[in-house]
Amino acid sequence: MKNRGFLLLILVLILQPVAAQAQQEDFKPEDMTTFIIQVPHGVEGNGLAVGNSTLSAYLFFESYYDGDMNVTVEFDLPKGFVLHEASVHSFSLQTEYDDWYRLVDFYIPADTPCGIYNITAKAVVDVKGKKHTIVRTTQLKIASKKEVANEVSVSQPIVPSDEDGHGDPSHPLNTLVVQETSPALKKLLKVTDLKIEKEDLTSTYMGIKIENTGNSTIPVIVTYDILDTKTGEHVKAFKPDIMGMNADTLCYAAVTLSPGSSSLISLPIYISQDAMGGDYLLRVKVKLTGSDWIAIAKNQKITAISRRWGPIITTFTASLLGLTALGFFLSRPREIMDRFKTRNLVMIALFGTVSFAAINLPMTILWELSHAIFGPFSFLFTGLFNEILLYMLIASLVVLIPKPGVISLFMMVRFLLGGFITGSFTPITFITLSVNAVILELLLYIAGVTGKNTALDNRFRMGILCGFADMFSSYVSFSVWMVLYRLFYSDWYIAANILIDGFLYTFIGTWFGISLGNRLKKVAE
Amino acid sequence: MIGARSIAEPTIKDTVIHRMDPRAKILILISIVFVAVSLDNQKTMFLLFLTVLSGFVLAKMPAIKIKTLVILLVLLIWGTIYSQALFYSQLPRTVIFTIIRPEFPILGWLTGGGLFVYEEGFHHGAVQGLRSASILSLGLLMCWTTDSRDMLNGLVGLRVPYSVAFMVITAVRFLPIIITEVATVITVQRLRGFNPKKFGSGIIKTLLNILTPTLANCVRRTGTLAVSIQSRAFRANPDRTSLKKLEFSNTDKIVVTVCVFTAISVVIMKLIYNMYTSGIYYTSGLRPVYAIAGGYL
Repeated sequence: MKNRGFLLLILVLILQPVAAQAQQEDFKPEDMTTFIIQVPHGVEGNGLAVGNSTLSAYLFFESYYDGDMNVTVEFDLPKGFVLHEASVHSFSLQTEYDDWYRLVDFYIPADTPCGIYNITAKAVVDVKGKKHTIVRTTQLKIASKKEVANEVSVSQPIVPSDEDGHGDPSHPLNTLVVQETSPALKKLLKVTDLKIEKEDLTSTYMGIKIENTGNSTIPVIVTYDILDTKTGEHVKAFKPDIMGMNADTLCYAAVTLSPGSSSLISLPIYISQDAMGGDYLLRVKVKLTGSDWIAIAKNQKITAISRRWGPIITTFTASLLGLTALGFFLSRPREIMDRFKTRNLVMIALFGTVSFAAINLPMTILWELSHAIFGPFSFLFTGLFNEILLYMLIASLVVLIPKPGVISLFMMVRFLLGGFITGSFTPITFITLSVNAVILELLLYIAGVTGKNTALDNRFRMGILCGFADMFSSYVSFSVWMVLYRLFYSDWYIAANILIDGFLYTFIGTWFGISLGNRLKKVAE
Repeated sequence: MIGARSIAEPTIKDTVIHRMDPRAKILILISIVFVAVSLDNQKTMFLLFLTVLSGFVLAKMPAIKIKTLVILLVLLIWGTIYSQALFYSQLPRTVIFTIIRPEFPILGWLTGGGLFVYEEGFHHGAVQGLRSASILSLGLLMCWTTDSRDMLNGLVGLRVPYSVAFMVITAVRFLPIIITEVATVITVQRLRGFNPKKFGSGIIKTLLNILTPTLANCVRRTGTLAVSIQSRAFRANPDRTSLKKLEFSNTDKIVVTVCVFTAISVVIMKLIYNMYTSGIYYTSGLRPVYAIAGGYL
């Protein structure tokens, strides 16, 4: 029995290394590992490049073996290619599904002859002292620039497009709408919970169809520039910084084109708040991955429509206000007019005549003349008539007839008189005068200047009220000019007009107007 | 002053334009204003301007009025061109002259980076000036070919309250008197040593010194005029009769219909087109409208 046990022990001792040897011999490198090489990175199969490129080769090794292995990968490049780092990499993999990868940068000199080059990666796998060699070879075609340019083609960019690059017929072709705010982007930010400091970015997309007619897989990077048509300079407003990043880092697409394939890509276009409307040149650039050389550049004229919603909404609201006021008046003219004595009506008409003779008539010539001579500072001169003189008349008329509606009637006479004599029946005159009348009437009535218990002595208060009313009217007037007549004004010009003409001159005019009104009251009595 | 009066007053002749019903003129004016405001196409806008100017030929306007019109149009268009050359805010734009450099103390900062004259702004201003020029020309044609009494009738015919029309006509009637009065006051001021042409304080002093006596006279007149009007049964009855009955001729009807229809069509088409370009509303069925509005309006 003892002998049997002893023999069994010897048998076990003999068989264990044999079994272990048998297990080791079961390791099949091709089945129990994955070894991949891509040149350039992302290209499955044979790649394509041009001279003077810096490419990244992708090496990947994965183990399916449940045990330790030591691997040495050697990357072998054709003669003339310049490797930027060590060609040999060693690493250990401990468990099943353990992996290793590396991007290996190398440079292809400009004078590299065109042709097909073999790039080899060799992995030596050491499993329990036994070494296995795996070799992978890929081909890289070095093509001439002309050849690449012939093999890749791009369609005209579709602007704007949807997120997939398809043309969107609900928007005019080659047109970008520059808006104050983009409801779409706001919605997008809300959904993605992102926060962009510059909230007023408009976004849209452009679609580009790119095609590879050659026999090699071509990795390309597609990007674009929006240029000034005259100077050819980049317009930063169309590629603004987003979340602290340059828009170039977001506005590109990396595409790997298989032989004979085509791909529709979309690129985002970001438009900042300070983008101006006008004509631009959109230049789509296709670069071969690893090279700064632009294989294809496609130009497309695009138009940016600048639409500021503030003045549009102001104009719409002001028009509505003016029409409502007119409608209110025309719906009950008798009731309104009966509140005024015949003497009041005659006085308003005569004040209207004076305002026309002293303001409208001289200003018909002087307004344009001063604009032509003084340019942007003409308002300092024209304000003497349009604001000081006008508000002297208005304030003195209110002192003489402190009733609600007197200013509206005065404005109405001015409008109709101006229309009949100088032909100034314009929507701008109508909207501006009606808004001015409504605001003045409201403010003066609320402040108790017009009404039953009139308080006309406080020059300061009336000056302030008229000043505010005219500031508002001035802003409306500028908005209406910009929207209806498509004119441009700088912000500083509008602000200066509103403050100096709108408030200061009006205040002065009202101040003197009350004194004038009090003097005229004595004449009337 | 006499020159100013003759420019302001209508020239009564017997032409196609003069014979038109004042209501028709007002309706045509309103329609054309809507068209002018809606248009963006340069060629169409120029065509509209030429059409309006042809009215002056038809109306056989005297030379003084044509001269006045030309002066006003030149100033108006130049003013628009100049302002737009300064404030043009589209691209591309080419600076052809610098008025204020960005580094200029205070003004450079105040103007938000300097003030420049842009070449493209001149062009834009000229085009936009046509819009104002068309409206102004038509307004002047209307008022130079219509007697103020007819205009009053026209307003009343268009349901403008009689009291308002009366106020306007009172103002029109008093205009020559007030102008004469202003001329008298200026003469008096000159005799007292003021120089109204002196720029700056001269203008301000003259204005203030004209205003007070002119207004005092107006206020004095008011009482007399009111008594005179009331004694003629003004506002005694709600309904009024008119000596001259306005009647649309067939030509008036056709022209008004065409103008109103055109205006409504143009405005609606532009609205639809703007809704399309703004991404507010689009339907493929309206493609012909988009094409017409984009290409011709």
